[in-house]
Amino acid sequence: MGIEIDWLAFFQVFLAALIGAVAIVTFYALGLRMLVRAGRVPLVTPAEFTDAITVISEKELRHAEKQAAKAAKKSPLTEGQKRFALVLAYACFLVCGAAVVGGITLIVVGH
Amino acid sequence: METAALIVVLVIALALFFDFTNGFHDTANAMATPIATGALKPKTAVLLAAILNLVGAFLSTEVAKTVSGGIVNESDISHSLLPALIFAGLIGAITWNMLTWLLGLPSSSSHALFGGLIGATLVGVGAAGINFGVVMSKVVLPALIAPLTAGVIAFVATKIAYGVTRRYDGKPDGRSGFRWGQIFTSSMVALAHGTNDAQKTMGVITLALITVGWQSTDEPLWEVKVACAVTIALGTYLGGWRIIRTLGKGLTEVKPAQGFSAESSTAATILASSALGFALSTTQVASGSVIGSGLGRRGSVVRWRTAGRIALGWLLTLPAAAAVGALAAVLVVWLGLTGVLIDAVLAVVVIVGLFLWSRRNAVTHANAMSDVAVSGKAVDLPEVPGPTRRRSRIELERAQARAERKAAEAEKALRRARKLEKSVGKGPEVKAARKAAERAERKRIEAEKAAHEWEVLSASRRARAELAEWESAQAEASNGEEAR
Repeated sequence: MGIEIDWLAFFQVFLAALIGAVAIVTFYALGLRMLVRAGRVPLVTPAEFTDAITVISEKELRHAEKQAAKAAKKSPLTEGQKRFALVLAYACFLVCGAAVVGGITLIVVGH
Repeated sequence: METAALIVVLVIALALFFDFTNGFHDTANAMATPIATGALKPKTAVLLAAILNLVGAFLSTEVAKTVSGGIVNESDISHSLLPALIFAGLIGAITWNMLTWLLGLPSSSSHALFGGLIGATLVGVGAAGINFGVVMSKVVLPALIAPLTAGVIAFVATKIAYGVTRRYDGKPDGRSGFRWGQIFTSSMVALAHGTNDAQKTMGVITLALITVGWQSTDEPLWEVKVACAVTIALGTYLGGWRIIRTLGKGLTEVKPAQGFSAESSTAATILASSALGFALSTTQVASGSVIGSGLGRRGSVVRWRTAGRIALGWLLTLPAAAAVGALAAVLVVWLGLTGVLIDAVLAVVVIVGLFLWSRRNAVTHANAMSDVAVSGKAVDLPEVPGPTRRRSRIELERAQARAERKAAEAEKALRRARKLEKSVGKGPEVKAARKAAERAERKRIEAEKAAHEWEVLSASRRARAELAEWESAQAEASNGEEAR
């Protein structure tokens, strides 16, 4: 009796995982890019300094904030365009959330 | 019947202990990356992982069905013998797990579980007791394919994450915002872990219950689901101290964008596999993602020696746990209930002995490092990554243009100096013109050198990779000598 392998299932897993991961990463990265375009550069410092984290000093953080504010000021976009970029950023984050919720729903419903 | 019931109780207790150690061991794998990049405080991360493992355990039962209804041909095995064989298999899995944990060898709890079950069944019943089709298609092949899948996806995702947020003008790129995202992706990994790993224990307990006739279908009972979910969550929460102790040892080079991509890939791969009933090793999938995402960063190279050692550890887990499970099963087959009791005593002695041994020895990178963090070491990442191809091309063109300009200036200065020499002899003006020509010539050489440097950049990368490999071999050799 030969062993039957369902190769299509492996392909399905690869495709589903690829689409899911790539969609989440692409839309999240696009969202961040749009936030920067909208002049709201996300500066997220580490939650807690441990050995594993490259420590950012207060001075470096202030410098980064200053640089971000300067870049936002120099932005060639009009206020309207900036608002549009912000809306796009939030839309991208929403797509990410929807992808996650959709994926989990598919698993639960499929089950 | 009473004997069988006693053995089933022992199986449930041991399976729940296995579930606990699984959660305890894998907290680090799910949460090491967000803590390493500072996305979450260690205590928050551990609590979040525990809650999501609990929730994840209720999402699906496909993996549990694979374990309870596919791997072992329970209809062909005597109902009085099977619970004892499951017990022996669990002993094999737990012993191998604890041994590898203590020695710091890469391993997988899931494969240890399957290895133990297969080894014990082979000894107790022979090859007829194993459903090789299911073992191949739901355990062995996913074990080989899933880490590669996760690695490829993480590589692509990392390239996208960096590509989309890259700026060439030096202005802020917003990449630190990936730290926010990591809170969600690491939560997804914890959820996926609960979905896949808690179900393996549910499957084992369900199999034991079916064999004694306490259950007829391979769908886990809700009591079993709750028990497994709570146990894995408890193990995850209590395993958190290891994260805090081992944080600084491994994932020091993971950046938020990379961690985000790796976690997205891990969660997507495990969730998609769970939906189809593939019993994966979450450790291996997470390790594959970390390696893939590391390679997705510019200038990274694989340390093949380290990667090979990890892969070898993974490949050894199944047969090694099968051998331990088989040894435990030999006693069961020869001595019946007495064999089961001897196995239980031996298991307690081994577990307590290993636990005491681990307490006596200090926790070092060799025995307490997260397996995913170990995998991160298979990729060498430069502190300052090299330029992108586009940037290299631009810089090369600039350097070549500068070299041509300086060559023209040098030529012009030399001509002027010769002309002056002919017209006024050797006065101070000629001397100055000569000096200007020499200066221009020096600048031309510098510019040409710069252009050449951009061209040889790829060659220097190769040299750096070889050097990293050599350094890794040297460190291993010196560690080996110290150990001796």
